[in-house]
Formats: sequence, C-alpha cells, structure tokens
Amino acid sequence: MERSRLPAILEKHHRPICIVLYVVGIIWFVALAHNAFNHGTYFSENALLPGLVQGDFHSDSLATQYLESLKEESEKHTSGMPYSWLAGQFTQLGLDTFTHNFTLHYPLGSEKVFTGKNVYGILRASRGSSTEAVVVSAPYRPPTSLLQGNAPSIALMLAMASFFSKQVYWAKDLIFLVTEHEQLGAQAWLQAYHRTQSGAGVLNHGDLEGRAGAIQAAINLEIHSSQVSHIDVKVEGLNGQLPNLDLFNLIHRLCQRENVYHTFKNRGNHPQPETFHGWVHQVGTLFSMISSQASGVPTGNHGLYHRYGIAAVTLEGQHSMHHPRNRRSVSFQQLGRVLEGVCRSLNNLLERFHQSFFFYLLPATNRYISIGVYMPPFGMIAGGILVKALALWYSTSCAAEQQEQEKVKKIDYGLLGGFPTVVMVHIVSVLLHNAPYRFSQVGRYLALSAEDSVFLGTFAFCASLLVLPYYISRNLGLQNRSWEIVKIYAVLELGILVFAGAVYNFSLALIVTVAYTPVALLTSPSISRWRRWLKAAILLLVHPLTMLFLFVLMDTWSNFSDLPPNKLLWKTYIATKRALMYSVVDGLIYSNWVYDVAVQCLLPVWLLFWQIALHPIQ
Amino acid sequence: MNTPWAECIAKRVELSTPLNSWKRVEEGVFLHSQGIAVYSGGVFHETPFCLLFGGFLIRSWQSYLHLIFVGCDLLTAALLASVASSYSRQLLEQQKNAVSQFASDASHLLLTSSALGTGVVYVAAAYLFCPYTIASCVAQTTSVFANLIIAAAFASMVKGYPVIFGTLVALVAYQSFYPVCLMVPGILFFMQNDSHNLKAALLKPLLSFLVSLGLLMVISAEVAGGWEFLEATYGFILAAPDLTPNIGLFWYFFTEMFEHFRLFFLATFQINAFVYVLPLAIRLRKDPVLLATALLAFTAVFRSYPALGDVGIYLSLLPMWKHLYPFMRQTFIVGCMFVATSVLGPIMYNLWIFSGSANANFYFAVTLAFNTAQVMQG
Repeated sequence: MERSRLPAILEKHHRPICIVLYVVGIIWFVALAHNAFNHGTYFSENALLPGLVQGDFHSDSLATQYLESLKEESEKHTSGMPYSWLAGQFTQLGLDTFTHNFTLHYPLGSEKVFTGKNVYGILRASRGSSTEAVVVSAPYRPPTSLLQGNAPSIALMLAMASFFSKQVYWAKDLIFLVTEHEQLGAQAWLQAYHRTQSGAGVLNHGDLEGRAGAIQAAINLEIHSSQVSHIDVKVEGLNGQLPNLDLFNLIHRLCQRENVYHTFKNRGNHPQPETFHGWVHQVGTLFSMISSQASGVPTGNHGLYHRYGIAAVTLEGQHSMHHPRNRRSVSFQQLGRVLEGVCRSLNNLLERFHQSFFFYLLPATNRYISIGVYMPPFGMIAGGILVKALALWYSTSCAAEQQEQEKVKKIDYGLLGGFPTVVMVHIVSVLLHNAPYRFSQVGRYLALSAEDSVFLGTFAFCASLLVLPYYISRNLGLQNRSWEIVKIYAVLELGILVFAGAVYNFSLALIVTVAYTPVALLTSPSISRWRRWLKAAILLLVHPLTMLFLFVLMDTWSNFSDLPPNKLLWKTYIATKRALMYSVVDGLIYSNWVYDVAVQCLLPVWLLFWQIALHPIQ
Repeated sequence: MNTPWAECIAKRVELSTPLNSWKRVEEGVFLHSQGIAVYSGGVFHETPFCLLFGGFLIRSWQSYLHLIFVGCDLLTAALLASVASSYSRQLLEQQKNAVSQFASDASHLLLTSSALGTGVVYVAAAYLFCPYTIASCVAQTTSVFANLIIAAAFASMVKGYPVIFGTLVALVAYQSFYPVCLMVPGILFFMQNDSHNLKAALLKPLLSFLVSLGLLMVISAEVAGGWEFLEATYGFILAAPDLTPNIGLFWYFFTEMFEHFRLFFLATFQINAFVYVLPLAIRLRKDPVLLATALLAFTAVFRSYPALGDVGIYLSLLPMWKHLYPFMRQTFIVGCMFVATSVLGPIMYNLWIFSGSANANFYFAVTLAFNTAQVMQG
C-alpha cells in the first residue's frame, strides 16, 4: 500500500530529531532570561494612571503608635488574636466593622476541630454605590508563631485606614482585613464572601455579616519590622495561577517613584542585565519563580484570591542586614505612600484587570516573558514526545502490515491490546488517590501520627506497585501483545498531560516535561540484563515520589548547605513526609491540585513506562 | 448518574445546549402545567411533542428517569448493532456478486465475514463506551432520544421498511430539524434495492415523511395552542439567537458580527449544513449508508447548537467501515486531535469563565480544532 514519505522519514530519524528538539528547546528556554529575548514591562490598562498625583500620606507616627499598642496588646493574648482591640480600632476610625468565624474539621488523623476568627472593616466609598471593592489584608501572627511577626503591617494598615477615611475620592469600597491562621483565614473569608465551597468541604466558612461589591484587586501585607531594607513582591498563587501583570507593574512603578528598593524572589535587578553575569542572575530569578510556581502552593495569602478572578499580590517587607546594596532603609512613610498610590490607582480602574498578561514568567522586576514567547521552546522540549508517538505509530502499523503479508501472527498490534494495562494502572491510581484518609485511619490504630501513616502508606503502596508488571504479564497473558502499543498510550497521555498542564501551571508542566521526555524516548524492553536494570534505575529516578524527595533535598540543601550529609538526608526525609502531607491536606482544604496531578496523571504514565521497561521479551 | 458529578456534567456547555438540556425540559413542563404559554418566554425550545413526552416522563417516571435514559442508550446500541450486521451482510452479498470482476491480486482486500462480524461488536461497543455518549446520557440531554430515533431510522432503512423510515425521519427532523437530510440517502437506498419499482421506492418514504410531519405539526399546534412554537423551535435553530458558548462555530462568529451582516452570515452558515448533501449524494450514490453517516457527521459539525451527543452517534457508526481503515491517512492525527481537544476544551473554558485569566479565543480555538478534526475524519 502506498504511504506518504514524511512519516517514513520521521520514523527513520526520529531519535536525532527528538534529541535535537529537546536540547535546543532547553537552550532556547534558558536563553529567554536574557534581555535580548524577553521584553520590558509596560502598562496595558490606561485607567490605572499610576503615580499621577502626589502622595500625601504622612501618618507614619500614627503607624508607630499603633504598632506600640498592638505589641502591648498581643503580649496579653500570647496564642490568640486580639479581636476586640482590632475591632475597636476599626470602629473608632468609623469603618463598618465585622468579625467572621470559621471552623476547620481537620480531615486526617484524629479529626481535630480548629476555630478561628477574622476581623475586617469596610470603608464605604463616598463616590460609589458599593458595587466594587479593593481589599487590603494582613495575616495576624501571635508572638508564639514560628513565622516572622506581622504586627507592623497591621499597624500600617490601621494608619492607612485612618488616612483614607478622611479622603473624599474613593469610588470603590476599601476592605481592611486581618486574618487568623495564615491562609486558612483568608480562604475561609473568601469562601464566605463569595458563598462558595471549594476543596472537600472540610472548611466550614460560616457567613459574613457585611459585604462590599465585587472585589477588583487585593494587596496582602507582610511587613516584618518598622524599618525594612526592601520590599519583595510575591505573585505565585494557588495552582500556579498568577495575577494580572498590570498589578505587578503598578507596584513596581510606585516603588520606584517612592524610592523604595524592591525585589522579586528576594533578588534585585542586576545593574548590567545585558552582560553574562546579568543573564546568570536573571536565570536564577527565573528558576526561583518556576520552582515556587510549580509547587502550586501560594507564596502568600494573595494566592487564594486568584481563583476568584481577583488580581492580588503580597508585599513582603524584610529587614536583611546583608543585602547586596545596603541602601537606606524604607520607612513607614514611604511604604504608606506606595500603598496610597496603589490604592488610588486601583480606585481608578473602570473594569476588572483584563488587559495585560495572566500567563508570564518574570526574570526581573521590569522584564517579563509572555506565554507567546515561552511556549515555542516548551513546545520543542515537549515536541519530542509527539514525534516519538508518531514514529511508534508508523513503525507498529508497518510491522502489523508486514506480519499480515507473511501470514504469521506472532504479535498482536491491535490498539485494544494495550487497553487492559492502561485501564488497570488508572484504577490503581484512583485507589491511591482515595487512600490517604484510610492510611490515616489505619495509622491511628498503630499509634502513628497522620503524617507518618500517610507517608508510609503511600510509600508502601508505590513500592508494591513496582511488582505490578510481573503480575500483569503473567495473569493477563500480554507476552504476545505489542509493548509499542502500550507505549503509544503512555506517550500520548504524557503529551496531553504536559500540554494541558502548560496552560494551567506552566512551571509544573515544564519540570515534568524536562524530566519525562528523555524517559519517554529511552523506555523500551531490553534483552540485556544490564540495560534493563539501568533503564529501571532511570525510571525510579523520575518516580513522582522520588522527584518529590529530590526537590525537597535541593530545597533543604540550599537552605542548610553546611549540614553533614547524613543530617541533611534525615532532614530531607522529614521534610518530604511533611510536603506529602501538606499536598494531601491542601488538596482537601484549598483544592490544590498537585497531589491529584501527581497521583492521577503522572503516576499512571510512570507505571506504564515501568511496565514497558520490564516487558518480557522472547 | 446519582453521583454529585452528574449535576456538574449536566452543566457543561459541551453537552447541554439550549436545545437539548433536560433542565429546560423540566422548566417547560412546569410552565405548561401552570398554564403559562411555554413558547412566549425565551427558555423552552423543544417541540410540543417533546413537551408532552417530557411531561409524561416527569410525572410518571421521575424516580426512574436515570434508568430510562440508560435504557434508551442501550436500545440505541442494539439498533446500531443490528444496522451494522445487516449492512455488513449486504456488503458481503454485493461482493459475492461482483467478485469475478476483481483483479486477482486484490484478494487480500476482500471482506471476510469474521472481520465484518467484529465490526458489529465494535459499533455497539463504540456507542456504549464512547465518552461523549456516556457523558451526554449522564447529563440527561434529549440528544439521547434523538439518537435513539436516528438509530431506529437507520435500522428501518437497512432492513427495508420505507414507510417506517419516513415516519422516523419525520420524527427526528421534527425534533431537531437537521436530520431531515437523511431522507436523501434513504430514498437512494430504497431505489437501489427495489430497482423494478422506482416510483414506489421514491414515493413510499416521501409520502410517509410528509404525512407524519404534517400530523406531528397539527398535533403540536393542538398541544401548544397555536403556531408560536414554530418561531421558538425552528426559528431558534435557524436564527441562532442564543450565543452561549458551545462546541459549534456559530456563537463566536455571531458575537463578533455587526448586526446588518447577521442575516447574510446566518444564511451562509446554515447552508453549510446542507450544501454537502448534493455532491456527497452524487459521489456516494452506491453506498447510501455511508452517505447517511457522512451527512450526520456534517450536520453535527455545522448545526447551530451542536452537542457531544450528536458527535457520539456518528462516531460509533464508523466501525462499520473498519475494513477501510488501512486506506485512511490521518487516523492517528485525527484521533489525537479528538482526545487532545476533549481534554483541552473544559480546561480552556474553566480558565476563561472561572479563573478569568484566559479568554473566549482560547476556547474557540479548541472548538475549532475539534471541528477540524471532525471534518478531516469525515
């Protein structure tokens, strides 16, 4: 039968093509951090009019007073939040003040119940009809908290509320929100505000007594001291969602105007970005963003707003002694001016943020890589997967034809032949996906903590899955079926996973692609025992659990680089357990998808590859 | 169907259009029972007969509704299987009559009964396990019933019952308008099978079609108490005033369009659904069943409110021509496109509507790719 020649050429040369695509794609992607390949940020939304008016916030002494009295107050409530003090301050400023109760039924282990309370005040707009609102929020941290204190942000927020309440130009309501229990409070408040339930329904969000209009934007404050050296802007949200780039630009522009040194991922801009060192610096910033976006965990409370279509960022003020450029520290006055400018710009908005990019990567505070720029190199890296699928399809159909002509039926090349295996690994993955709750129940009988039981359970489950190929090939009689067909399924599923993932959480998709493309090209059954073991070892290296361990190891190593190896490994082991637990719990509370993706999408693909690598060959 | 997913699935725009969502049927039935004119509002677009039928189902069978939908799907699958088996028998007979004229080296291209037999199983399995039909059954769309009637019409065609065929096509055309083009392959089929009495072969299905359609219209007018239903059903199908996103091509174009071009493009788009009837009928005159399937596929792409349920039925008919697969060029690419667009569609929709980060273009690009895949495969 006549066939077109293109697939034949593709089949013949697909290995070099795949390798070239992969290598060139990666080089291209890394090169994007250089200014010659990325673009300078600009404002798309003209209504923002940043910095058009002279800021006149001057209540920095008031902020200092608030800080003193808040510190005094928090000494009295060492573990809780001074609700009445906060509500009292809001009421004194003339805001509509409400408190909001929420309850968390902790889903795993001993099923504890946690309660919390948020306090918020609404400054009603004098020139609007309460149809739109802007949120300024700050998490409250008691002195016993392990994280850096956040009292200065609340003090600054109160001082700003006091200043704002005297102004006449507000067209949108301003909501000043103080949340308890970090992200939990913010999540509960947002759910209650929109009256929706996300996650598995373990968070009882209660109801709000007062609301303003649709929230247009939110600024979350985390200022750790009254004198900070720089402001760090955080954008990565839940499941890797990002705020509109215009909001990021706005903060950047106003910080520049008020002479506030600001950074992204705690890394300032390189003085000479065009040089090699400048490029290396920007690559570092880019990869730092990719690694935090890939985890799907919000870097601050702002990350939870994104799901509701609200652009939000966190401004973190840090005081670091050994910052590269020891500039003059930033005072409350300057911070207040920045925030005033931001709020006034947001007040100017005529429609919600939609003009600028939602899909971007940032190598510096004033450069961006848009989706149109980063997708081609990504497409090249992932393109190898599709080429491989096409080549496999061609070679199997040729082989099937040849077999038919020779009239010997040795191997079944039917598409349905791979089906039982594929269905089986998916069933197994669904089982594992629903297992953590059972693991924690079993763990309770064995007097294990929920963290231990979930980790050990998952580990044991994954380890037992390693023998699945032997079971499958013995009991389903797959020796006569083509492994290529199974591989086509696996490769296609991987391709769909990474391309679909790239529009949701690009960084996660990128990491998965970079790790799995070589595996997708390499995996095949081998007769030589050494090769077989080598392939199995490579596969084990990209098992989702191993990948989690490796990433935690890298993270631990970068934080505690002076630890001896055995302690480092032990610390990593503990952190991995915790990371797994958090990903399960975050999935249940916030509907973070990392665990779901790893178990329901990545694990089946991996199992298929494992099955192929250990496929018996006569 | 009883899981919490069902509601979620029923809300998907890919499955439930204003024309086939069960929620709207319920709404219409309720309005009707309250004595409110159903068709004067903009909610209900089903035919009056469907109103009667839906009302009957909801009143008497409410708690068994799931089972009825599942039963209909099973019945459809059985009918399709019977279509496939009699069609393959006919193919074999044709081959037996013509085998002497073939070249000797074409022997490996000859059909065998076992290959066609597996085709029958594949047709039923394809209908029952096709994710599109399963989802549209779970979503309780009225496409399930339309598919049942289409399958019955196919069965009556290949088994050679012209009168029943005419009635069934009248019923399904009455219900969703576009399948009216099935008359062409039907008449061709009967004329070929009954070559000594062409007039009867032409007139029987045609007359039965016209008479049943007329009857249905009269009954409808009686039920609806007037002829306003024409405007609300066929007017709605033809003028496409509801621009809720779906898997079709209409909504995106008509949201962008200047009002004074609307009529022109409306005509162009609607003609698209029917313009292929004539050339295809000439090209595929030897094989009316293939023609009917191709027409189903084209109307599934070019109708104003397509749903995945419409796609499911013609996809499941394709295994009847399993023996032609080696001659198809883009099977793999088209298959990949189907899978990829089915995954990407909901994702893009979610990003656009819920996260607010993507926009309509993303979703439309995916639906466009989906339709391209359908056309390429057609």
